[in-house]
Amino acid sequence: MTEREAFLEGLAKKAGRPRHQLKDHPLVPVNDLPETTLADKSPAELAALAKTNSEAVHVTYQTTTTKDLPAALDAFIQAKAAKTLLLPTTDAYQRFGLEDWRQQVQPTPTYWVPGAGREANLKAAASAEAAIGFADFLLAESGTITAATTPGQGRAFHFLPTHYLAVIPASRIVARSRQAADWYDREIKAGRLQTSNINFITGPSNSGDIEMVLIVGVHGPLDMTYLVVEDQ
Amino acid sequence: MTIKTSNEPFLTRLKESEQDTFMQKAVAKAQDAQWDKRTAARNELGHWEQWRDLGEQIRQHVIRYLPDYLEEFADNIEKHGGHVFFAKTDKEASDFIKHLAEEKQVHHVVKSKSMVTTEIDLDKELLKIPGLSLLETDLAEFILQEDDWDEPTHIVFPTLHKNRDQIRTIFQKLGYTGDNDPQHLARFARTYLRASFLKADMGITGCNFGVADSGLINLVTNEGNADLVMAIPKTQVVVMGMERLVPSLKEAEVLDNMLARSAVGQKLTSYCSFSTRQVSGESDGPEDFYVVIVDNGRSNALGTPFEPVLQCIRCGACLNVCPVYRHIGGHGYGSIYPGPIGAVLSPVLRGYEQFGDLPFASSLCGACTETCPVRIPLHELLIKHRQVMMNKLHTDKSFNNVIMKGIGVATSTPAMFRMALTADHVAMAPLTKHAPITVENEYPEGIIRKAPSMAKGWTDVRDLPEMPKHSENFRSWFKQHHKEQEAKQDD
Repeated sequence: MTEREAFLEGLAKKAGRPRHQLKDHPLVPVNDLPETTLADKSPAELAALAKTNSEAVHVTYQTTTTKDLPAALDAFIQAKAAKTLLLPTTDAYQRFGLEDWRQQVQPTPTYWVPGAGREANLKAAASAEAAIGFADFLLAESGTITAATTPGQGRAFHFLPTHYLAVIPASRIVARSRQAADWYDREIKAGRLQTSNINFITGPSNSGDIEMVLIVGVHGPLDMTYLVVEDQ
Repeated sequence: MTIKTSNEPFLTRLKESEQDTFMQKAVAKAQDAQWDKRTAARNELGHWEQWRDLGEQIRQHVIRYLPDYLEEFADNIEKHGGHVFFAKTDKEASDFIKHLAEEKQVHHVVKSKSMVTTEIDLDKELLKIPGLSLLETDLAEFILQEDDWDEPTHIVFPTLHKNRDQIRTIFQKLGYTGDNDPQHLARFARTYLRASFLKADMGITGCNFGVADSGLINLVTNEGNADLVMAIPKTQVVVMGMERLVPSLKEAEVLDNMLARSAVGQKLTSYCSFSTRQVSGESDGPEDFYVVIVDNGRSNALGTPFEPVLQCIRCGACLNVCPVYRHIGGHGYGSIYPGPIGAVLSPVLRGYEQFGDLPFASSLCGACTETCPVRIPLHELLIKHRQVMMNKLHTDKSFNNVIMKGIGVATSTPAMFRMALTADHVAMAPLTKHAPITVENEYPEGIIRKAPSMAKGWTDVRDLPEMPKHSENFRSWFKQHHKEQEAKQDD
């Protein structure tokens, strides 16, 4: 008997219940609250809720259009007086009409590059004063953005830079974490999404560990901006 | 540090806690603030009792089929190229991780907050390796480490007992020269720890929930340190209690929402992550991924009346409503798991010889049971512990039996009960003090400050107002009120 088998057999014996019963007794939830909560909200109502809840978690919430997106991104970089900028490697630039912008943006960006290796990408992220990333969803209920790790937008991309902006298409504002979790679950199981990591990020990092005083900006970015592109 | 944090007797620990007035004020402030935030967050979600039904069902289902879920979870970790080690004891778990660190010639370890790694005394075991440095990166745990591994006082707010001046003094030893502003202190920690993150070759995290059908590790934090621990080092070790599983992402999502609302009154914590071993093409995240699943006494609860304690999601809400915790703080319990959950869990993990006092550190008011998001019947389990202990230790119950029998006879015999109601005011008069109403005295009509004999224990910590005169007691009032009501009806 393997070590694992001995461990699991021991648990079954102590519990007084036979193993391998789960397949005949799957979990059937007692209610559907995760799906039905906020399910009656229209897209406009969800957008309004997303704004309120994002601002409640110290996020700068802005909206723009595809046409005005480059100017909004420039304004962010200028507002943060960023001398170093980190961008992901992604086909999102094309979708958002940002191909020309990224050729001209100042400061000249450093990219999170697939294949560049751990050290190079971490170094780029750690020295970035600002990062602009692309989120998969914005959750209205909690003011949360979600992003699955990709070769071009790694884990530390969201954590090491000092100031962070996430671009989110308005069509990706959903009610709650349930809708996003369902999507990721489906995509991963179908093999359409290959990722080792999914981040749900709700505002900048914070802590109440010193006398319960809220400190915004601990290990992760010191501030967060959500830029919702209304015609996407 | 292991589960037991003090070798002092329970009463000595209580005396020490009584002296710590800063801690008492800090705990009271935290409890009151968390009450407001927690209640608001739950109310905003709506249908909280039905959410509790769902949370309880998920946790009970996992515990019921725990070996099956563990098997599924381990299979999925291994499918992604990770490794799983099942540890029956704390020693097995810490030995495995220590050997791993030696084998990989690790130099710099960064850790995120994990109760179970404290439980298995991992930090001190790893620091025995020559040349190895280890840093706790959660701000509170970092403060405790730098204060010579001080004990945590709360499972969510471990440094509740420390003020900003004490933290400033701790940081000064590391080169901090600023003032005691929490923001400045935190910025110093950020800079100090950032350097350690970037050179770390092993990251160690806990696990809020392991997702059985995918092998993903779900972690929630507000600081973002856990995500850096999972992103930067090439090797990651996850240490988790064996019961911390959920069937799928759906149930993790439900419990993350309930955990954040119950622990800190937030809708979700700042960071909520689901991760596993790095996949092809990614450049950060762990290339080597180990999950250590720890029993360490948890299985003592299986198949017993204490099984519901394994439902716990470590939100700490029961600590935040407990009147006993409010008075004695975390250190009074002498366990890394304090409060009502600790008073139930600690004896399960380590037995009554070490933690037999804790089930008595409760007023049995039931506030813990009432607030628990996954409906653990905490106060009932505390009573059950007392029963089991009485039977197991063959405690002499004759004195209690005589007392309870006497009370039973007196309260069920009308003549005796009436006599007591007539005599109580007169009998207590010699002990009664009269003083004007103040914040310290809510009973200007009379209060007993020091009762004799067994009742002294009560008056040491609680108010004992003088019994009302016979003409002013409830029965007399009710009789009079009833007469007046009848007279009104007749009119």
